[in-house]
Amino acid sequence: MPPTEDAPQFEDLDWDDIQRSKRTVTAERAALVVGVALIALVRAYQWLSAGPYLIGDLRPATVDWVFLLAATVVAAYGVIPFAKRLRRRRVSLFDALRRRPAVALSSAFVAGLLAVGVAGPALGGSPPLRFHHAFHPPVGFASTVPPQECLGVETGGAFDRVCHGTWEYPLGTNKRGHPLGFLLIAGARTAAYVTVISAAFIVPLAAAVGVVAGIRGGVVDDLLSAYVDVQLCIPALLLYFIGYAYYGPSLLLLLATFGLLSWGGIARLVRSEVIQRRGEGYVLVARSLGASGAYVARRHIIPNSTNTLVPAVFQLLALFVLIEAGVAFLGFHEVGTYSWGSTISESSNAAIAGQLQERAEQPAYKIWWASTLPAAALTATLVAFKTLGDGVRDALDPRGDRS
Amino acid sequence: MSGDPICSVRDLKKHYPITRGLLRREVGRVRAVDGVSFDVERGEALGIVGESGSGKTTTAHTVLGLEEPTAGEVRFDGEPVSELTGEERDAFRRRAQLIVQDPNDALDPRMTVGEAVAEPLRIHGLDDAERRNAIVADILERVGLSGDDADRYPHEFSGGEKQRISIARALVVSPDLIVADEPTSALDARVRSEILDLLDRIRREFDIAVLFVSHDLDVIRRSCDRVAVMYLGEIVERGATDSVLADPAHPYTRVLLSSVPSLDPTDRELGRPLTDTVPNPSDPPSGCRFHPRCPDVIPPADLSVSESTWRAIAGFRFSVQAGELPEAAVGDPESETGTGGDRAGEGRTAATVRRAVGLAEELPDPDAEAAVEDAAAALAAGDVDAADETLAAAFTSVCEREAPAAVDRPADAGAERVTTGTVSCLRHGRSGSAEAVRPDGDAETEN
Repeated sequence: MPPTEDAPQFEDLDWDDIQRSKRTVTAERAALVVGVALIALVRAYQWLSAGPYLIGDLRPATVDWVFLLAATVVAAYGVIPFAKRLRRRRVSLFDALRRRPAVALSSAFVAGLLAVGVAGPALGGSPPLRFHHAFHPPVGFASTVPPQECLGVETGGAFDRVCHGTWEYPLGTNKRGHPLGFLLIAGARTAAYVTVISAAFIVPLAAAVGVVAGIRGGVVDDLLSAYVDVQLCIPALLLYFIGYAYYGPSLLLLLATFGLLSWGGIARLVRSEVIQRRGEGYVLVARSLGASGAYVARRHIIPNSTNTLVPAVFQLLALFVLIEAGVAFLGFHEVGTYSWGSTISESSNAAIAGQLQERAEQPAYKIWWASTLPAAALTATLVAFKTLGDGVRDALDPRGDRS
Repeated sequence: MSGDPICSVRDLKKHYPITRGLLRREVGRVRAVDGVSFDVERGEALGIVGESGSGKTTTAHTVLGLEEPTAGEVRFDGEPVSELTGEERDAFRRRAQLIVQDPNDALDPRMTVGEAVAEPLRIHGLDDAERRNAIVADILERVGLSGDDADRYPHEFSGGEKQRISIARALVVSPDLIVADEPTSALDARVRSEILDLLDRIRREFDIAVLFVSHDLDVIRRSCDRVAVMYLGEIVERGATDSVLADPAHPYTRVLLSSVPSLDPTDRELGRPLTDTVPNPSDPPSGCRFHPRCPDVIPPADLSVSESTWRAIAGFRFSVQAGELPEAAVGDPESETGTGGDRAGEGRTAATVRRAVGLAEELPDPDAEAAVEDAAAALAAGDVDAADETLAAAFTSVCEREAPAAVDRPADAGAERVTTGTVSCLRHGRSGSAEAVRPDGDAETEN
C-alpha cells in the first residue's frame, strides 16, 4: 500500500513564485514563423529582382505562393502535432505501418503526391508541343495509331504501321506529344494544390465555427448553425461557374468557392462532438480549475473528436480532388494547368466535354494509355486519401496500441 | 472544528430558465437548487444526500463556480466566490477541487495519466516539465499507484484505479476543499471501500475538507461527519451523520433509509413513499415539497379516521394526482361513451377501484366516505381529472399550504449534545407556532 507516514506533506508549491509565463516558443509556432518568413523573403526577392523568373525559368504564380503558405500551415499545425503524438506511442511507427501495409502504401503515395506538389514548380513549364510524336504507346505495348515519327520499333506495312513503345516515352504520349509521365506529375501537382490549400483553409475555419457554436451555445449556436445550413444549400459548382464567367478559369477561384462553401459539414460534425463532450468529467474538472474555453477545446475536445473529424476531413479532400478533376474534364480549367481530369477528357472523345475542351479524334480504346493512366492515378489518390484518413485516426487513438 | 468554515453557502439558488422561440422568451424555470445553506468546516467531511434530481450535483457545481448562482452566495475562506478576480480567483481554483462521478469520463482518454494529473499544474502555469513529472510521480505513489503509470493511458486502468488517478489530480494542487460528486457510485463494493478509505486517509493527512455528494447512505455513513439531506432543491434535514441516520426526523430521510435493504420488516412501513414519481422541479409542489410522496403527511384537522386509513386515502389521492394508479383502478373513457359500454363497464365499478387502492371498507367519517366514493366512481368512468379535483377538495393537508421552516431536530433520548441539526417538517413544528415541538426553538440554530 502507499507510503503514508514518512512524509506527511508532499511538495507544496508556492504559487506566488510560479509566474503565469505563457510559453511563447512551441515547435508549431516556430515552424509557422520560419516557413512564412522564408516565403516572404523569396517573394520579396522575386519582386525586387528585375526579371520575371525566380531561378532559371521558374516563375511562380499566385496559386504557387498560396500553396506554399498553406503547406506551411498544414506542416506546422497538422504534421508537427501529429508527429509529437506519435512519438509518445509505445509502438514504433515502423511496426505500426508494417502491420498495416495498406496504410503504409497510402501514406507513401500521399507523401509522393505532396512532394511533387512542392517540387512541382521546379520541374519547369510544359514541354514543347511535338505533334509528330503523338500517341506513342507505353513501353511494352504497341499502337495502331502510330505517330508520324515513331521512335520505337516499327512493324507492319506502310498502311498498317504499328509503333511499339520506346524508353524515350516510357508511359507513352498524348496527342500533343506530351509524355504521360509529365502529365501524371503535373496532375499530381494540381491534386496536391487542391488538397493542401483546402485543408489549410477549411479545417481551421470549420473547427473554429464548430467549437464556438458548441461551447457558447444559445443564440451564437443558433445563428452559426443557421448560417451553416444556409451555406450548405448554395451549390459551390454554380458559384464557380458564375465566377468563371467573370474572371475566366482559375484554380484559385475553384478552390476559393469550394473552400468557402464546403466547410459547413465539418463544422457541424465538430459542433456535435463539442456538445457531446462538454459535459464530460474531464472537461468539468478542467473548467473548475479555471481553464478557458479555448484551452478545453484545444486540449480536450479536438483531440477527442479526431475519430470522426480526421476521416471526414480526408474524405472531403478526396472529394475536392475529384471535383477539380470533374471541372477540368468539362474543360472549365486553366489550359496551362494539366489536371488528370483534362488529360482524361482530351484523350477520350467525350461528347459531354465543354466547347473549350479538346477532344480526341481517335476512339479511346486505341489510345487507352492516355486516359487510363491518369484515371488510375485519380483513383489511387482517392483510395489513398481515404485509407490514410483511417490510418491517421487509428494512429491518434491510444486505445489502438494494444491490438 | 475551529475558526471560520472553509466554505459557506447561504440561501443558494440555481434556476435554469426554460426558454422558447427565437427570442428565448422565458416560459418557466427549473428550480434545481432553491435556497440551500450549509457550511463546510475545515477538515470535515460533509455529505449531501438525495435522490437523482434533488439538485445535489448542481449544488456541488455551483459551489465550485462551474455554474453561476441565480441567487445567494458561496463564500470560500470568507471571500464571496463570485467576486474573486485575478490571482485570488486562481487561488480559489486551486484550493477547491472536483472529483467527478464516473471514473470512465473523469480522465481524458487521449491524455496519459501523467498529463492528466499534471493538468492542474499546467493550467496554473507550472511550465517546468521535470518538476511536474516529479510531483506527479510522488502523488501517484501516495494514492496507491506507481510512478511508472504516468506514461500509460486511462483505458489501461480499472475503475478503481481511475478514481485513484482522479483523486491524485485533485490533490496535486494541495487543495483545502475537495468536492466529490458521487465518487464511488460506479464502483463495486470492495473497490468502493478502498476509495473511501483513501479519501478518508487523505482528508486526515492533509486536513482537507471533503464535500461528499451521494445518493448512497452507506457512503455517507462511512465517511461523513455531518449530513444534509436534499429533496427537490431544498435541504430537508441536517445534522451529525450518526444521529440523523440513527434517528431520522424527516419522513424523506426515513424513505431514503428504508430504500437501503434492511432485515427488519418493521422498518419498512413508514419508509415507503406514497408515490414513486419525483415531481418536476420546474413546478414543485406547494407547501412542503415532499407532501405528495410523504408517508407521514399530516391529515386534515377535521378528518376522523385511523392513521393507516389516512395513509391509504393520502396514497389514493396523490397516486391519482401523479397518474400512478394501478391498472385495475382506472376505467376506459372510450368504452363508456361507445356502443359497447356494458361490456367494458361491468369490470370497473367504484367498488373495484376502491378495492384496488385498498379503501374497500366504508370509512367512519361520512364526508371522507362520500369524497372517496365520488372519486372512485369518477375513476371507474375513466375521468381522472374529476377524481383528482374531488379528492383535492376533500382532503387538504396542512403540508400543501404551508412551507415548513427549519427547526431543531428533536434531541435523542439521553443525548449529550445540545444541537443535533435541523429538520424542515411540519410534524416537528412550525417556527413560532404553538404546535412546535420546541416553541422556544430558533430556526437555523447550528452553532
